Amino acid sequence: MTAELLERLIACIGSLLVGGTASWQLRNELPLHGLDAQVTKLLLGLMIVGCVLALLASLNVLGAFA
Amino acid sequence: MAVRSVARTTPYLEKVAVEARYNDVDPVYAETRDIRLFGFVLFLLADCVLFGAFVFAYLYLRTAAPTWPPVVDGKQLPRLDVAFGAMNSIVLFGSGVTMHFALESWKHLKKLAFNFWLVATILLGIGFLAGQAHEYMSAQMTWQGSTFGASFFTLTGLHGFHVFAGVCFLTVLGIQANRGVYTGSKYFGLVAGTLYWHFVDVIWVLLFFLFYLW
Repeated sequence: MTAELLERLIACIGSLLVGGTASWQLRNELPLHGLDAQVTKLLLGLMIVGCVLALLASLNVLGAFA
Repeated sequence: MAVRSVARTTPYLEKVAVEARYNDVDPVYAETRDIRLFGFVLFLLADCVLFGAFVFAYLYLRTAAPTWPPVVDGKQLPRLDVAFGAMNSIVLFGSGVTMHFALESWKHLKKLAFNFWLVATILLGIGFLAGQAHEYMSAQMTWQGSTFGASFFTLTGLHGFHVFAGVCFLTVLGIQANRGVYTGSKYFGLVAGTLYWHFVDVIWVLLFFLFYLW
């Protein structure tokens, strides 16, 4: 197993795990009100987008330049 | 029947518990909490403007260049390592999740779990910084050599500084929390720390896309 493959594997499994957990946290935050809850919802949502980007990058869908 | 009855009364009991917690709150704290929170959100917005200025400078340089990464001394610079970047990104995003768990643990008065998640967040933050250091050492460009190098080191360096500041911030919060500065109803510092850490995560989403994927 090459280092790159290992990195992709960690990124792929990690993005599924982190993205899934962040989605669950966002779901729990949804009924809450207040400025801190609203900002947290926005930031968690954007973090989930980041997890999707990392997942696509690990699967060579995004950032495949070679 | 009994299960249904418990399920019906649980939200009520939770509401009572929350109200009881908030009843012993310091009145000055209760009055100023929202103002302080608003001030902190304004600070995050000001930080967005700072990053925005550098990001737009990068976009200008990138769109003005005939090729990207640019050619230096007749040789095109290589792209950054996407696999490593994705792995390092997940380390940082994972720290956002653990920080959220830390705050939730504190809200539910679980101090041991709070300490566990906070230490995990700090370690993941340090792990991300170590990954960035590795990226810097293995990068085949310099700060002065090209617009790519200049913008990469400036933006990721600025972000890295924020992560470092965040690690220090969270360490101080952890010490304060264990010294009894925060209570079950008075924990604005922990909310601010969590928002800051999420903000640092989200800035990295943009930088990861701009430098590694685009």
